[in-house]
Amino acid sequence: MIKIEALSKRFGELAAVDNLNLEIKSGEIFGFLGPNGAGKTTTVKILSGLMYPTSGKAEIDGFDIVLQPEEAKRIMALVPDEPFVYPKLTGSEFMYFIGDLYSVPVGKQEERIPKLLGMFDMDRWKDELLESYSHGMRQKLVLASVLLREPKVVLLDEPMVGLDPKSARLVRDIIRQLAASGVTIFMCTHTLELAEKLCDRIGIMYEGRLRELGTVDELRARAGSGITDSQGNRINLEDIFLTLTEGKEYAAMI
Amino acid sequence: MQSSIAGFIILQRRRFGTAVNSLVSMKLWEFFVTFAFSMAGVAILVGLHFWFFRVMKYLSTVQIIGPLLPWKLTSMAFLMMFSMVAVSGLIAAMTTLYYSFDLKFLFSSPVSIRTLFLDKTVEAALYSSWTLALVMVPFIFALGRVMDCGVFFYIYFLLLLVPYVLLGAAFGVALSMLLMYFFPTSRTRDLVWIMSSLALTFVYVMIRFSQPEKLVRPDTISIVANYLQYLQAPTAPYLPSWWLVGGMQAFRYGRYGEFAMHAGLLLASVAVLYGVLTFFSKWVYMKGFSGAQEGRRRGSASASSVPFERRLVARGWVERMEWTLLWKDRKLFTRDVRYWSQFALIVAIILVYLFSIRQLPVESPDLKSLVSFLNLCVAGFVVASVGLRFTFPAVSLEGKSLWVVRSAPMGVERIMLEKVLLLSLPSVLIGVILVASSNYLLQADYFISVLSVGTIIVCSLVCCIMGIGMGAVFPKFNVENIHQIESSAGGFIYMAMCMGYIAVTMAIESYFVRAHFHQKFWGAQWSSELVIAAVAALLLLNIAATVIPWRMGVNNLKKYEL
Repeated sequence: MIKIEALSKRFGELAAVDNLNLEIKSGEIFGFLGPNGAGKTTTVKILSGLMYPTSGKAEIDGFDIVLQPEEAKRIMALVPDEPFVYPKLTGSEFMYFIGDLYSVPVGKQEERIPKLLGMFDMDRWKDELLESYSHGMRQKLVLASVLLREPKVVLLDEPMVGLDPKSARLVRDIIRQLAASGVTIFMCTHTLELAEKLCDRIGIMYEGRLRELGTVDELRARAGSGITDSQGNRINLEDIFLTLTEGKEYAAMI
Repeated sequence: MQSSIAGFIILQRRRFGTAVNSLVSMKLWEFFVTFAFSMAGVAILVGLHFWFFRVMKYLSTVQIIGPLLPWKLTSMAFLMMFSMVAVSGLIAAMTTLYYSFDLKFLFSSPVSIRTLFLDKTVEAALYSSWTLALVMVPFIFALGRVMDCGVFFYIYFLLLLVPYVLLGAAFGVALSMLLMYFFPTSRTRDLVWIMSSLALTFVYVMIRFSQPEKLVRPDTISIVANYLQYLQAPTAPYLPSWWLVGGMQAFRYGRYGEFAMHAGLLLASVAVLYGVLTFFSKWVYMKGFSGAQEGRRRGSASASSVPFERRLVARGWVERMEWTLLWKDRKLFTRDVRYWSQFALIVAIILVYLFSIRQLPVESPDLKSLVSFLNLCVAGFVVASVGLRFTFPAVSLEGKSLWVVRSAPMGVERIMLEKVLLLSLPSVLIGVILVASSNYLLQADYFISVLSVGTIIVCSLVCCIMGIGMGAVFPKFNVENIHQIESSAGGFIYMAMCMGYIAVTMAIESYFVRAHFHQKFWGAQWSSELVIAAVAALLLLNIAATVIPWRMGVNNLKKYEL
């Protein structure tokens, strides 16, 4: 469903993404991890058509995001890390706006928008201007608008930031349900526990390069000393992440 | 906790660092654009200087009252400037003191509220006054040359200009603090925009309708004694404008004690006013800032009513994508009082414009027709100015929500086309009202009327498309207020392009006007070859003026990386 070939993005001398190769199947939940500045958000921006790559290509369901952006965008949804939305629209107006923009039939919009807003506990805020929404509320609204469109691919950049525990749980369940129904999920996150529990496969980016790729068990096995560390504790994703990204040394300095 | 002075110095250091970094990180093309922009600005200031000089030189040569007139004009100019700085100060203070991006960060830092207030007040004062202060520099030099003043006159005048504008801005800041203190919600911001737009409109209309041209035509004031009395009386003696101008007048004629008194009054007022504001800011500013954090409730608007754009889409009469965007932009426009409140100013511009046309001392019918044609140039300038205010910033106003439409399944052309759809009708309407009404007032002949109305329709449309195109070439998605978009280098280039386009259009059309008058006076026939050449040139010009900025805008927006 998502195919990335030799994708690179340079900002002057800096290679934000360096020769990335990746293939993600339909219905897969793919976790994209890495420290700040590793190139995760840049990759999401390229996949969503907000940024051109310097070289290489990315396809969404066979549509090249540079050559056939409209076709690719029609089946794809983005939840950015900073969910900026038009401050002078109300919550329900934003939903109808997205519905119209993505050609969701009017009858379906009328039926689903109240349900979706209700599902995210947003119904009592639906007639308020978005300028009065908190970060978490805007995040939930954008997620609700994604569900309205029924996309084939969902790109999530830090989807849990700003969400209360109840909403976070809801989002986790939604991600699982979407994947079960065949939707491909590409998720950037710093919440390693979430990635460990939710993702079918994980890719770890560091300094623009994909350092590791595989299931959590595969990563654990590749970490060197089997499945336990020197104290005999089972290695978790955090240990693997910190080892790969040289985080432990810095942690020791503190 | 930092001491107030140390905190203030640290805050200024970050400003200085930002300015230096902006300069150092400038790319070569940015440097050239900035340089060209600055040179154009200097050329305008030099031009203004010579114009001010000519006016004042003429005034000073009027018998008996001549030496009084430049000072009177200076008093009036500085009084007007003071009121404009105060109104701008109010608008700037609302943005910088209560809605700046960095306020939450600064308020969470261990800097005292008074220090923060002073830092933001200085910023508001700078934003609200620098352009006006800059324009007054050629005025001061013109006055100095005409009144034959020495070098110290310029030095003291320019030095006193600083506390003068600080004082004007302080009034705006004080008013914003009072408003935010007593009405601490974001509705206050709307109220301020409406009030200041109406105030500016009122000042503008009153200045024009008071017919300042009578100052240079004493014969139009019936009682000469009244006129002389008016000239000799200080203009608003209790206002800072008189402390400045009266002081400088005293300096020019060697009355140094009087000068020191006026300068002292000005400096003391600034010190006292800023001291008082800073003292009270600890309580007043914090309450206002706290209120500004509250989101605005929408109230009981008709959320369930189906907008007419959706009805049209449902009937299949219009394209869904464009009309959805159109609906979105209409909603954003009508709910953002900063934009629609400026319609009052446009109405004022039209009224003043037509009033000025009516006052034109033109008698002959043919001359009136000729003036009607030349009037196209001024009408075009107004249309371009309105475009600079509404059309040019339209793409940038997508702001940080741009990701919503950029990640949607449509090309940037559609986003831009929707904006043309939204803004072309108002643009054409303003142009047609100006030109058709002027033609009516001037009783232009049929040919000139048709030509000028047809031309302004095309010019308004082209300026609108050019505005969207150039707005996409020079987008600014991360600005705090719309003025930063229109006062950018891109805005300047857009205005220059509009004026160039209108000038070339008129130059080509002057052939038709010439042929029309030749036929009328001497029965000369039109040359069909020249008509074809002129029409072809017009076609080429309009295609180039539309297609080139549009293509540049599309390409740039496609490449724009969020």
